[in-house]
Amino acid sequence: MRTHFARWIIIASALGISAWAQQPATGGASAPAGRGKGRGPAAPTGPTPRLADGKPDFNGVWNGGPSSQDISLALMTGEQIVMTPAAEKLMQGRRPKDDPEANCLPAGVPRMAPYPWRIVQQGTHLFILFEANIHSFRQIFIDGRQHTPEANRWPSWYGDSIGTWDGDTLVVDTVGFNDRFWFDAKGHPHTDQLHTIERYTRKDLGNLVVETTIIDPGAYAKPFKISYTARFAAKDELMEYICAENNQDVSHISSPTGLP
Amino acid sequence: MRLTMRGKVGVLGAGLGLLVGALPALAHHSFAAEYDEKKPVKVTGTVRKVEWTNPHSRMYLDVKDANGTVTVWNFEFGSPNHLFRAGWTRNTVKEGDQITVEGYAAKDGSHLAQTRLVTLADGKKVPGFAGGGDSGGAPTQ
Repeated sequence: MRTHFARWIIIASALGISAWAQQPATGGASAPAGRGKGRGPAAPTGPTPRLADGKPDFNGVWNGGPSSQDISLALMTGEQIVMTPAAEKLMQGRRPKDDPEANCLPAGVPRMAPYPWRIVQQGTHLFILFEANIHSFRQIFIDGRQHTPEANRWPSWYGDSIGTWDGDTLVVDTVGFNDRFWFDAKGHPHTDQLHTIERYTRKDLGNLVVETTIIDPGAYAKPFKISYTARFAAKDELMEYICAENNQDVSHISSPTGLP
Repeated sequence: MRLTMRGKVGVLGAGLGLLVGALPALAHHSFAAEYDEKKPVKVTGTVRKVEWTNPHSRMYLDVKDANGTVTVWNFEFGSPNHLFRAGWTRNTVKEGDQITVEGYAAKDGSHLAQTRLVTLADGKKVPGFAGGGDSGGAPTQ
């Protein structure tokens, strides 16, 4: 099985990426294909850019995220995912056709589709604009406010996010999630008790390290930490991605979860 | 062609680790839940329709068999975002073009397949599911 697939990868790469990708699309990536870990070209090099107030500048287009297929691939060293029996049972019963992301609903947090995203950082707000999936955004308040009171919010896909600085690291604390999105295509679940703490550190011009602690006593016996390094795509721009316009896949999907 | 392919496998085998980074991106659904790796497809036909849409581009091919019967195949491609970042343009494949498409058929037996490689009218070969640009690379295996 793998032989077929490996052969295609090699052929596609040999015939395609080397020769074909020489003509960047307008607004598309023009950085040379490199050996960056994971998705896309290698990151540009240089010092961490800063805003006038001295804080690290996160603005720009980025690529990267934990595996959308299997969140456990992003676990930090020594970390473990320990599900409650109820969560385990829920996951076992899930089918790929029911994956909200495959049905063009938001990926939630911390799941990211393999498409670029842009950070827009202002004095009071930081927005993460997702090209996909879906073509949507997260809003993070960085003006020092507290979480929106529980009575004034309802369970949501991206939750209620506030950001504070710990030195050069932006710490984003999010609560108020719904229980509808999946952490990955395998169906790792969560409940509305989910609380995420993300630590964003721009190590240099090209690399944004994101470490996320996932706390959900409703589904996991203990918190766990994942991480990924996003790469700066200096010359890329977001493109339109309207997932629901021609989503034919779900009607043909039938297999159990756990398949890649 | 098969021999050529094997030749490439031999030559490029050592580079596989690097090339895995260029795995096709399946943004929003699993490959194995919909398609069958054991059902490779290779057909030549006339492009009836091109859809530059998300989550996937699609090209519909009129494929004629020995008896002259035409079957319409629905080939799923990477999203236009991925294809354009990888160098595709709206002129790469146009309606009426004669192309050969290779990929894997759907498990449910419909005339649907996920594309791997396209041989264009001028003989040039291009990947139909290349991650390309900055955005390829969700692991599919």
